[in-house]
Amino acid sequence: MTAATDGRSTATDAGRRIEEAAREIAGAGASAPDPARDPVNQAMINNWVEAIGDANPVYTDPAAAAASVHGELVAPPAMTQVWTMRGLHGARPDDDPLRRMTELLDEAGYTSVVATNSTQTYHRYLRPGEHVAASAVLEGVVGPKRTALGDGWFVTTRTTWYVGDEAVAEMTFRILKFRPPEPQDPGNSDDGTRTADAAPVLRPVVTRDNAFFWEGLRDGELRIQRWGGTLRHPPGPMPPDGDLEAEPDYVVAAGTGTVYSFLVHHHPPVPGKRLPFVLALVELDEGVRVLGELHDVDPDEVHIGLAVAASFDRIDDDLTLPAWTVRS
Amino acid sequence: MTGGIGGEAAIAGIGATEFSKDSGRTELRLATECVSAALADAGLSASDVDGLVTFTMDGNAEIALARELGIPELTFFSRIHYGGGAAAATVQQAAMAVATGMADVVVAYRAFNERSGSRFGQVSSSVAQQANTSGVDNGYHYPAGLATPAATVAMVAQRYLHDYGASSEDFGRIAVTARARAATNPHAWFHGKPITLADHQASRWVAEPLHLLDCCQESDGGVALVVTSAERARDLRRPPAVIAGAAQGSGPDQYVMTSYYRDDLAGLPEMGVVGRQLWRQSGRTTSDVDVAVLYDHFTPYVLMQLEELGFCGRGEAKDFVADGRLDLDGQLPLNPHGGQLGEAYIHGMNGIAEAVRQLRGTAANQVAGAETALVTAGTGVPTSGLVLTVP
Amino acid sequence: MTITAGTELPPLTVEATPTFVVASALATRDFQDVHHDRDAAVARGSQDIFLNILTDTGLVQRFVTDWAGPDALVRSVDLRLGVPCYAGDELTFTGRVAEVDGDEVTVSVSGTDSLGEHVSATVRIEVTA
Repeated sequence: MTAATDGRSTATDAGRRIEEAAREIAGAGASAPDPARDPVNQAMINNWVEAIGDANPVYTDPAAAAASVHGELVAPPAMTQVWTMRGLHGARPDDDPLRRMTELLDEAGYTSVVATNSTQTYHRYLRPGEHVAASAVLEGVVGPKRTALGDGWFVTTRTTWYVGDEAVAEMTFRILKFRPPEPQDPGNSDDGTRTADAAPVLRPVVTRDNAFFWEGLRDGELRIQRWGGTLRHPPGPMPPDGDLEAEPDYVVAAGTGTVYSFLVHHHPPVPGKRLPFVLALVELDEGVRVLGELHDVDPDEVHIGLAVAASFDRIDDDLTLPAWTVRS
Repeated sequence: MTGGIGGEAAIAGIGATEFSKDSGRTELRLATECVSAALADAGLSASDVDGLVTFTMDGNAEIALARELGIPELTFFSRIHYGGGAAAATVQQAAMAVATGMADVVVAYRAFNERSGSRFGQVSSSVAQQANTSGVDNGYHYPAGLATPAATVAMVAQRYLHDYGASSEDFGRIAVTARARAATNPHAWFHGKPITLADHQASRWVAEPLHLLDCCQESDGGVALVVTSAERARDLRRPPAVIAGAAQGSGPDQYVMTSYYRDDLAGLPEMGVVGRQLWRQSGRTTSDVDVAVLYDHFTPYVLMQLEELGFCGRGEAKDFVADGRLDLDGQLPLNPHGGQLGEAYIHGMNGIAEAVRQLRGTAANQVAGAETALVTAGTGVPTSGLVLTVP
Repeated sequence: MTITAGTELPPLTVEATPTFVVASALATRDFQDVHHDRDAAVARGSQDIFLNILTDTGLVQRFVTDWAGPDALVRSVDLRLGVPCYAGDELTFTGRVAEVDGDEVTVSVSGTDSLGEHVSATVRIEVTA
């Protein structure tokens, strides 16, 4: 494997603007402590333990709680965040860093959100009657990253809950704000070539040595480099005998061959592909191997030796990929 | 014997961070922690170090590491290409630098947040479209959808099954063995979590014919190895692991993970190149190997390595691995730490550390009386290997 | 109870019925539509309504204290979400003691559903016996 660098190398101006804004928001520090709507209370604890199915008596049974290490009723630590949730009509305060970052990413097109990590640390248990307030700070914004859900930014915030001046709990919370991929709708055009979702497809690196191959595909030709009597694929700048004076040309393959090996890709998602899909390494009748997707086939029916014919996956005006269909 | 490292250098210290899925700190911090641990293990300090070696892929510049650790001067720094194929070659580079007097103490390191950061198991457009010959090569594969390491291996594995009549269960035996070892290694991510062949068969497809349990984990962590002359190593804290052989190898018509245009797809000739050098340099043969640490990012390539290295004939690995031959008390104990399938995926460097522990007699799953260890690096790519021995 | 590293926790299976998904979202005061409005969830690209993260935190805490008992003090819950848990699925928690350091016990928890690992968590508790 070669380097899997992160998405930063493709960062655009928009990306830099997001990073700058994130630095500013982080630099503004923690938001003012925002008090919970209600104090810690037994009614909400009861609702919570009913829903979660938690039978721990220290939350609901005064006698058992009195006899426990707590000496009195306490709230479930996992409810800490619940006390300061916004509720049905609540809005985050203006200085809330997650609100500001969310608005910014929404504007940049990263409109979907999913929570990815939550690390909560509880310094002590809360008791009914105590009133908590939460204060949050932006810890970091990383992106754009390509994820299974789409390109997006990871936003990490750190929240501290206070009772008075006492910090009682902390949480590091990470969400992914992502741009949902466009729905895929590969169809077939009149000339039998296939159109696919253009935007996310990975593109080949075209050089003087291989331009004829990619140009040929655009014209519906599967071209194989020829040095005198020898065919070679993938193509390169030198003949097998090392003759610096030699000039290559190409032959147009008949487009028939057999499956030399194959795989069925199930995971992870690949840009522009519907899962699962079959990739076949095909030995052409001319004697060289070429790789491409094998279309319109039940993966269970594919086997080494299966006869196939070349087809052409037209991605857009610039790019057409070699592909295969089963020869009947 | 001509050529080779000839036992002039040794691994004098090993160090590692914990292996996790989210280290919670930077890769540079991981690198400093594992290098510091390795130096402490050797009884050396940062001021003794004058050389650093790592993978081309490593995100931590040698100079950044030197700054953090307080290494005053470096006289040797080098990087090895081709992903995990670099692992054993970092030690080879270090040994060559020591043997030629270019440096006295060279640390080989690899540290990454491979699970919580940029995951190799996902599709990476920057890999596909890099502006160099590897990017050109990838153009014949990535755009078509062959875009993950597992998929690249699946293509070769399918042909291997076809050519030699092997089955997915033969691959599964490697995974079961690795997880059995990891189950009793407290440092392994899968400590206490062995699997059965039925678990392997029931795990979901990733890239058919590879199940999920044919694929190694993704991990955060770092490992470092301190290399110095065999003579100096003898006077340090720990018994040295002498580098009796160290080799790199690339084969005919070589590509990175996609050497699909060779006459014979179902082999790893680059590992054959490594093996021939190792046996020649070390004066040892397969029958001398007490413990084998073979790179196991994907199970099929473990079978193929056994063949390329000469432990069995082509296509015979499926029979070789049956009957407990790879168990701790078997003929060829394999990956006693649990390998990358069971312990952690630290790009092969944790396997080298395990070989050193085996020779010291301090491993969690110790092979009794281990005196000669074989270690290999990443497969499907130009690769490397080591033969390590007790002094 | 003697707690040693490697001890497996008794598994816990939770039926993620639509009622459970909605009730737990509301009990955690999470009114995001994807947790109670199926049409809205589908329009946002999900196949159904799904569990919210505050419920995961609660379930993970419950799973560990069901085993450790009422006197165990939960000190931290660190969780990472994987595949969604949609209404109608079944969520099974398994866990293992990763480390014991005096009174402090670290438990690794995994919750899987039909799509794969929904949540993995590390829970630190204090057990004063």
